[in-house]
Amino acid sequence: MTMTSLSSVKHIRIGWFFPERGIIYVVIAIYLFITLAPLAWVLSTSFKPNEEAVGFPPTFLPKDPTLDNYAFVLTDPSLVRSLINSFVVSIGSTALSVATSALAGYAFARYDFRGKNVIMSIILGIFMIPILINLIPLYIMLGNIGLLNSLIALILTSQILIIPLNIFLLKNYFETIPRELEEAALIDGCSRLGALRHITAPLSMPSFAIAAVLSFRFSWNEFILPIVLANRGDVTVFQVALYQFISLYGIDWGYLTAGINLALIPVLVLMLIFQKQMIRGLTLGAVRE
Amino acid sequence: MHKTLTTISRRRLEPYLLLAPALGILLMFLIFPLFWNIYISLHDVSLTTILKEWAFVGGTNFSDLFEDPDFYTSLKITVVFVVGSVALQFGIGMLIAVLLNQQVRAAGVLRAIFIIPWTVSAVIAGFSFRFIFDDNFGILNYGLQTLGVPPIGWLSDPSIVIGSVVIANMWYGAPFTILFLTAGLLSINPVIYEAALIDGATKLRRFFHITLPLLRPFIVINLILITMWSVNFFDLQLIMTGGGPLFASTTASLYMYRQAFEFGFLSKGAATGILLLAMNLALAYGYVKLLRR
Repeated sequence: MTMTSLSSVKHIRIGWFFPERGIIYVVIAIYLFITLAPLAWVLSTSFKPNEEAVGFPPTFLPKDPTLDNYAFVLTDPSLVRSLINSFVVSIGSTALSVATSALAGYAFARYDFRGKNVIMSIILGIFMIPILINLIPLYIMLGNIGLLNSLIALILTSQILIIPLNIFLLKNYFETIPRELEEAALIDGCSRLGALRHITAPLSMPSFAIAAVLSFRFSWNEFILPIVLANRGDVTVFQVALYQFISLYGIDWGYLTAGINLALIPVLVLMLIFQKQMIRGLTLGAVRE
Repeated sequence: MHKTLTTISRRRLEPYLLLAPALGILLMFLIFPLFWNIYISLHDVSLTTILKEWAFVGGTNFSDLFEDPDFYTSLKITVVFVVGSVALQFGIGMLIAVLLNQQVRAAGVLRAIFIIPWTVSAVIAGFSFRFIFDDNFGILNYGLQTLGVPPIGWLSDPSIVIGSVVIANMWYGAPFTILFLTAGLLSINPVIYEAALIDGATKLRRFFHITLPLLRPFIVINLILITMWSVNFFDLQLIMTGGGPLFASTTASLYMYRQAFEFGFLSKGAATGILLLAMNLALAYGYVKLLRR
């Protein structure tokens, strides 16, 4: 029996009971349509004036294409304010979570200490606790400290969403970096923290990128925490501002869809730039394109 | 190397110092509130009493809950929502993950596109589908009309509104399953399939006897995560329907939010929260027991 070469092994992938390649592509095409159609429709609507947006029959391409909706969103003072708040909270939250998670992940990756496994299990378990449960206590707690309606409260509370995941991601990546590199620096008199800063961290940039993009995404998209803890007009974030479009008189869909598309951009851009790293990270390193 | 006592104890402290910031934040904003929740649920806390002394009421909040018909309705709606969401997300997620793994061209690009729904926010997804499902100007009803089918009250018909939210949730949540199961599929060593092929196994056989068993740990974790997320999630319901019409799309999680922040019954909300946590734990335990033969 001849040795099967590696290239023929590639052809033996998981089989299913569809012998026709055609059917595979049809199904994928259908799901592609399902995935993109809602977004395309919202995009098209954002270029229609409010009346045409809710007109019947709906027009696929705007009869009266206009940039007024975007102009409205980008010049309305409270909306712009909320957009800025979103950036401040998301960037601040990302920086804080990546920094604290890097330190913690490093501790797990390079040290053995009492309670290591217990703490790790707690952190993983925490990941499964819904924020829902903490909304009420956090509301009361922050109210007592007087931190309700503050950006700093949003930055701090959003940490609970991302720290466990980031610790897990960074710890795993740190573990793949050979200890010898750090040992060499330590022998030369470098401190542990210095080793982290000058050797491990630079080598871990891909995982930092993944952690940062995920943190940004979770913060930017977060809706429930801000709406409970910081819904006053001047401190609220963009997602909540969009929600507040719902008024007694209904919704101006032209404006809202423009706002929605604007809200999409930051995370989409980040995901596009870092897509290879993201997919690798999210599939636990399995996908190598 | 000469080590002083301070060096040794400092080295022992180092990991704890490194952990301190992250753990500090988690303790203060996650773990402490979790336990405080229990305290809150045993007292009378509402928006009116929040600044005063909280009266101890023992189990009254819980019994109020069990006597509230809206709560039972929310439990029923939750079951529909969770079962529907999990079935659709898992079914479609698994299908796409497996198909994308079949030597499909441009699989990488496709995966990147398929992630998109997961990258948008609940606000974006919720409003998009609210727009699409609208009775009057929604594109879906227009499509039905051109096919000669009478319009459906996607968001106004109490008996199907939760189904509409389930559909939106499927769109929003399937990408996670696709990615997670893809990770699992790619972790299977192709050599195993080669051996099976040599032994003459058919595609169907290979799937059920090799792929599925090897995928099992991923499937279990995936199911646990998406089930719990469906139980706890209420953003879409809040945005698409506000819980209506008349509680018809109010899941238990949304019920909790509304009790606490729309009606001001914070302690009743806290009690609901504890029940939801118990539900989460029971489900996780159930899955592990069920799928670990």
